[in-house]
Amino acid sequence: MASISLRNVCLDYPLYGAYDFSLKRRLIGHLIREKGGMRVIRAIDNVTITAEAGARIGLAGPNGSGKSTLLRLIAGVYPPSSGHLSIRGNVVPLLGLNAGVNLDFVAEDNIALLLRISGRKPTRAVIDEIWAFTELEARMQRLPLRMFSSGMLMRVLFATATAFPADILLLDEWLSVVDERFAEKAERRLQNLVSQAAIVIIASHDQPLLRRTCTSIINLDHGRIASTVTVEQPSAPPFEVREISA
Amino acid sequence: MHHASQSPRRPSVLHIFKIYYPDLFGGTLTVIRDICAGLKDAFAPAVLVCSQSAEQREIVVNDVPVARVHSFGDVLSLPAAPTYPWRLWQKIADHDLLALHAPFPLADIVFALGLGRRRPLVVHWHADIVTHAGLRWLIQPLMRRTLRQAKAIIVSDRVLVDKAPLLREFEDKCHVVPFGIDTDVYDWPKIEPHHVNGRGRLVLACGRLVPYKGFDVLIRAAANREFEVWIIGEGVERVRLEQLISALGLGERVRLLGSVNDRERIKLMGLADVFVMPSVTNAETFGLVQLEAMAAGRPVINTALDTAVPRVARHGMEAITVPPGDAEALGEAIEGLISDPERRRRMGLSGRSRAVSRYSAAAFKDGMESVYRAAVAAACDDPAPAVDRRGEPRWFDSIRIAAALAWSDMRHRYVRSLLGPFWMSLQMAIVVAVLGSVIGQMSNADMLAHLPILAVSMTAWNFLNGVVLDATTALQNSASLIRDRALPPVIFLLQCTFRQGLFALHNACVPLALWLLLTPHDLSGALAALPGLSLFVICTFGLSIVLGALATRYRDLKPIIESTLMLAFLASPVIWSADMVNHRSTVMRLNPLTHLFAVWREPLTGGHVDATSILYVLVAVALLLCASVVTLVHLRKAAFWI
Repeated sequence: MASISLRNVCLDYPLYGAYDFSLKRRLIGHLIREKGGMRVIRAIDNVTITAEAGARIGLAGPNGSGKSTLLRLIAGVYPPSSGHLSIRGNVVPLLGLNAGVNLDFVAEDNIALLLRISGRKPTRAVIDEIWAFTELEARMQRLPLRMFSSGMLMRVLFATATAFPADILLLDEWLSVVDERFAEKAERRLQNLVSQAAIVIIASHDQPLLRRTCTSIINLDHGRIASTVTVEQPSAPPFEVREISA
Repeated sequence: MHHASQSPRRPSVLHIFKIYYPDLFGGTLTVIRDICAGLKDAFAPAVLVCSQSAEQREIVVNDVPVARVHSFGDVLSLPAAPTYPWRLWQKIADHDLLALHAPFPLADIVFALGLGRRRPLVVHWHADIVTHAGLRWLIQPLMRRTLRQAKAIIVSDRVLVDKAPLLREFEDKCHVVPFGIDTDVYDWPKIEPHHVNGRGRLVLACGRLVPYKGFDVLIRAAANREFEVWIIGEGVERVRLEQLISALGLGERVRLLGSVNDRERIKLMGLADVFVMPSVTNAETFGLVQLEAMAAGRPVINTALDTAVPRVARHGMEAITVPPGDAEALGEAIEGLISDPERRRRMGLSGRSRAVSRYSAAAFKDGMESVYRAAVAAACDDPAPAVDRRGEPRWFDSIRIAAALAWSDMRHRYVRSLLGPFWMSLQMAIVVAVLGSVIGQMSNADMLAHLPILAVSMTAWNFLNGVVLDATTALQNSASLIRDRALPPVIFLLQCTFRQGLFALHNACVPLALWLLLTPHDLSGALAALPGLSLFVICTFGLSIVLGALATRYRDLKPIIESTLMLAFLASPVIWSADMVNHRSTVMRLNPLTHLFAVWREPLTGGHVDATSILYVLVAVALLLCASVVTLVHLRKAAFWI
C-alpha cells in the first residue's frame, strides 16, 4: 500500500556561489585559513505530512516557498538534512516539463525511451495506446518532436507519463500548460489514476485547479507549512484522505 | 544455531563489537556481559568480535558463545580484521536481532552496503568518534546509514543525544536506558557506607590504560601531595605511565595494579577512601566504574565532560567535578576530600542511595528487554519484502536504464548520417595508418606486424579517454532527468561507459580487419587477454565515477582532467610500445597506464604479464573501488551541484 510519511523534515539547501565550484579556490582558502562557511538556506523547515492511498494533496504558496523542493525531497532527489522520511510505493515524479526529452528524436522513439526510463517495456501496443490518447494524427509519430507545438508536446508527454498507474504521482505546474479541451481529458485521466489507489501531490499557483482536483491544500511559506485546508467537495469524491497533519 | 534446540525458542540476539572477554576488561564489555546475562531468559545471546589470539575461534564466556575473527592488531583504535564484515554478513541470517555496539566502523561497512536489512537492528550508542575525529568525514556517512537502518538506538543518558548532531537526526528512534549495576555484591558486612578508613589516604582509579582515561593527569596530581594512588587496569599506555611515575619520583605512592578480577575489584572499592575518574575526552560517555564506586559507597571525583559523566555522579552531591585535564584542580579536590572524613561519608551515602534507586540492574534489564522486544516485534510487522524490493533490483533497473540511454545515444548517431559511429572508426583507421608509417620510419621494426596492436591500443585509449571526458559533463547534461525524474546520478556515469563501449565495438572493426589481414590467426592470445581487458574496463568505470563526481562538484577540474589525459596519452605506451624505448625508464614503471595496458596487451601478443603489472593494476582497482564507494555515498548530494 502506498503511503508517504514526513516527520519534522528539514532541508538545508547549500548555495554554491561561483567560487564554491572551484577546487583551487577551496584549497587556497584552506591554506590561508579563510573562514568561509558554506552558505545554506533552509528550503524546507520542519514539515510533517502523512498521506495514505487515495490522498490528493495540493501544494500552494508564492514563488520560492518550497513547493518544488518539497516534491523533489519526496521523490528522493534531495536527501533530507534531518527528520524522518518514509515513502512506500513506486514514486513517479513529473516535475520538469521536458525531462529526458530529445527534440531531435521522432515522437515514437521519445515515448519508447521515456517508458524505458520509468522501467516499462515499450511495446507497439503500448505506444499506440498512448498515441490514441493524445488525439494527434498517426503519421506524426514519425516526426521529430522539434516540429511539435508546445501544446502538442505537452499532450505527448502527459500521455506517456500517465500511461501506467503509479503508486505516487508528483506533479509540478503540469495541467495549466495544456489547452482547455485536453485539460478536461487530462483531469479525467488523473481521476482515473487516483481511483487506482494512488497518491497524487500537485504543486500549483492555480487555486481553482487545486480546489477542483485536490482533497486538501497545504499552503507553504518559506519552507514551512502555513496552513492546511481541507477541500469540501459537494459531489462525493471517489477517494478519501485518511490523515493529513501539519 | 546454538540454542535452537531449547524450547520454547527464545529469539536469538547477536552482539556486534570489536573485542570481548577474555582479551580485555572494561565498561563497554561489562555492559554487553550484563545484557547477555540479564536477558538470557528472554533472548539467546551470541557475540561476534575480533581477537588477536586466534588459536580458538569459538569460545564460551559465561555461557555465551563468542565467535572471534582474527585481527592483525589495532590500526587507529580499530582491529585490523579484514574478514570481519564477511563473517558478520554470514552470521546475520542466523539471528533474530542484531545489537551493534557503536562506534564500530567495520560493522557499519556491512550495514551501509544494505546487507542485513531483513533483520532488526538495535544500536547501542556507547560513544561518538572522539579519538580520531579527523576521520569523521569518512566514517560518518557509514554511521548515518547504519542508524537509518536501526529500529532503535539506545543511549545511557539524554545528554548524549543533545550533544551528538548525528544522533539528533534520529532523535525519535533514541531510547534512554541508563546503565545499571547489581548493588547487592557491594553489600558486604565489613564495608558499610559509613565505614571510612581512618588513615584517609587511599585514592582508587579503574579503567583501561588508554589515553582518554586521563590517568596521566591523576599521576601528575599526586606529585607533591600526601595521598596514595592505586590504578586498576591494563593497556597500551602502561609503559608511558610507568615512565611518568618514575620521572615524578612517585614510585612509593602510585601503583599500577594491572588487571584484577571482579571480586578483588569490589574489595578494593570498599577499601578506597576516594574514587577518581579523571577521563579527559568525551569518549567517556557514562563511566560505569564510577557507578560501581557509588554502589560501594565511595565519594567520587569526576570531570566536567559533555557526556553523562557529571550527571551520573553530580557535583556537590555524590561527587566533586573538576575540569578535565587539570592536574592542579584534581589534586586539590582529592586533598580537600581526604581532609574531610564527614564529607566523604555523606557523599558515599548519597552515592550509594542514588546507585540503588536510579541505576538498578533490574531497571536496566527491563529497559533493554522492552527495546529489544519492540524491535523484534516491529520487524515482524514490517513487510520486509517491500523494503527489499527497493534494494537490489533497483541496481538492476539502474543498469537497464543506463543501457537504454546509451543504446539510444548510439542510434542517434545514425539518425543523420549513414555511417554513424563508423565515421569515428574511419578517422581512427586513418590515424593508425599515418602513425604506423611514421613510427615505422623512426624505428626499424616490422611495422606491418605491429599495426593491429597499434589499432587495438588506440581503440582502448579512445574508450578510456571518451569515458572519462564524457563523465566530467554527464551529470550536468542530465540535470533535468536527475532533478525532475529523480533518477539516481550514477546512471549517467554508467551511461558514459556503456556508450563508449558501444563506440569501441564499432572501432574494434579496424584492429580486427588488420589482424585478419596481417597476422597469423591465433585465438588463444585473445582469450588470455580477456581477464586483463575486464580489469581495464573496471578501472575505467571506477575512474569515471570518481572523476565524474569530482568534476561536477568542482568545475575547475575539467580542464585539468583534459590536459592530464593528453599528457597521459603521450607518456604511456599507447602509440609506441614498451620495447621501442628504454624498458626501465622510471616514468614508465610508475605510470599506472603502462601496467593497465600491459595486463591485456602482453597476452594478446603472446607474451607474459609481469607480476608487478598485475599487482599494480589490482592495487589500482582496489583503490578505485574504495574511492567509488565513498563517491557513491556522496553522490546523493549531486542534485545540489548541478
